[in-house]
Amino acid sequence: MDEMLLSKVRLGVIAALLNFDWIAFSELARSLGVSNGNLGAHLSKLVDAGYVDEEKSFVNRRPLTRYRLTKRGREAFADHVSQLQSLLRAAT
Amino acid sequence: MTAPQARDHIEMVNRILAESQQRLCAGGEYFVVWGIGSALVTIVFQLADRSLVPSAALWSVPVVLAVCAIFSILRGRSTRAALARSSLLQREFFNVLWLTLGLAFVVDVAVSRIFAGVASAAIWSVAQAIVLLYIGMHGNRRAQVAGILVVVSLIAANFAPPAIAGYILAAGMLGGYAGFGVSELLAHDGDVA
Repeated sequence: MDEMLLSKVRLGVIAALLNFDWIAFSELARSLGVSNGNLGAHLSKLVDAGYVDEEKSFVNRRPLTRYRLTKRGREAFADHVSQLQSLLRAAT
Repeated sequence: MTAPQARDHIEMVNRILAESQQRLCAGGEYFVVWGIGSALVTIVFQLADRSLVPSAALWSVPVVLAVCAIFSILRGRSTRAALARSSLLQREFFNVLWLTLGLAFVVDVAVSRIFAGVASAAIWSVAQAIVLLYIGMHGNRRAQVAGILVVVSLIAANFAPPAIAGYILAAGMLGGYAGFGVSELLAHDGDVA
């Protein structure tokens, strides 16, 4: 299994990004119900691993950080979920 | 990782994916109202063009459009609070929705000499197809199907006899645009504030 996605928060981030081009940090935090600090740490790891792209900009003079899934992240997610399902099938 | 942990993770992924499908939701009622309204207008124009109804029937067109607009304004006011909390993506979607339909409305009214008759209905169909396919691009399969249905109605109307072209476009508006609205309301019953 992909160690990067063994974390429930990181797996949740990838799942949340799956259907969208870009999602703002605040939206991700609200969607996943995690603190900003916790989410920021996990997002940094996903960005470093090349699973997620990060874009920082200003909208109406307010900073906006948003994220999107990379092709590598999408493939890793598909493989990981497939392995989770295999594990479940083997256990039942 | 143990099987219960794997099950927990899979359930979380399924929940997030289901929520993200719902997130880009414009409120099916807008689609139902405007789909029916635009189809009615198209049918009235087609009937009037074939002299099957008196020309006075054309007065129903601004009435229908006014009813649709008033509904949208009233409904928009009631959902304003929810919209303020929505994501950037959701707000971007509303911008695309109103920009596209607003432009189609302006084109139909202000460029009526170029887009006369069934062409004005086709402009509405194009606008509706853009809106539906935009939603479809964000993972909503029903919107993809509905958008394709509207595009197919456009192509079919192009090759159909002029006497029935308007009816085909109206069918696309009903089946595609209003139909998508009905499917959204059924799928997200009570989800839209």
